[in-house]
Amino acid sequence: MTQERFISEVRQQQEPLRRFLLALCAGDGALADDIAQDALVRAYVASGSFLGLSKFSTWLFRIAYNCYIDHCRKARPEKAPVEEARNLPGGDSSDKSFRYQQLYLALDRLPEKEKAAIALFYFEDRSIKEISSILDMPQGTVKYQLSMGRQHLKQYIQL
Amino acid sequence: MSSVEDFLRENKPQVKEDPTFILEAQRRMVQVEGIKAEVDRQRSRGRVALIIALCGGLAIGVFATAITFLYPIDAQSSAEGLLRAARLYLQDYRQYLPMPVAILAITLAVVLFKRPARI
Repeated sequence: MTQERFISEVRQQQEPLRRFLLALCAGDGALADDIAQDALVRAYVASGSFLGLSKFSTWLFRIAYNCYIDHCRKARPEKAPVEEARNLPGGDSSDKSFRYQQLYLALDRLPEKEKAAIALFYFEDRSIKEISSILDMPQGTVKYQLSMGRQHLKQYIQL
Repeated sequence: MSSVEDFLRENKPQVKEDPTFILEAQRRMVQVEGIKAEVDRQRSRGRVALIIALCGGLAIGVFATAITFLYPIDAQSSAEGLLRAARLYLQDYRQYLPMPVAILAITLAVVLFKRPARI
């Protein structure tokens, strides 16, 4: 894959990719973008081994998820719960800000796999099959993670 | 449960517009290309050095074989002469033999117990 082709694919995928990582990082936009950049470098280095057996976006999201997991392993001792709302869309009503704050706080409390499954299913509208290849788990496990994630979110989010 | 699902669908995280994101990605890709080019350069240098060493070895081998065939010597008598000379040398200087053994032992001890350097 040439650099131009790679860049053009990344241009199309940058927003979903950053949104997925933003959800995983519980609203920390700077961290999400750092991980996204790392993922793009890794993807670019490995682009010669991309055989096109899956969609480019699925492949890229898988690399990004692995980068996120690597980051979590490294940063685990420092990890602290999100105490404040992050990256709230500017200029919105306080009600919307409150909802985002609730969302990010709730996401931050979810286990990584549940959070990733929820983000891919509800924010990126990915199918169970795609989520299964991105997270490298059977489809039944994805459904279970989604179900557990919903149950946990129901407890954490005041509707 | 559907209320949670509705909440999630209605409140997708919103990423801020960042025109520098792609530029930064491109910059990193250029760096990766630089590293790849350097690695390729090093590999090709290594390959050239290997080929030169192989050719050199082959040439020296051919030369040595040619010399052996052109100027044959009596290998057995030469070997015996060398062994005899060595035996005489050891007999004459046997009082100094413990010295090289001690040097060897000290060198081995230093090499084996030396801490590896921290990189």
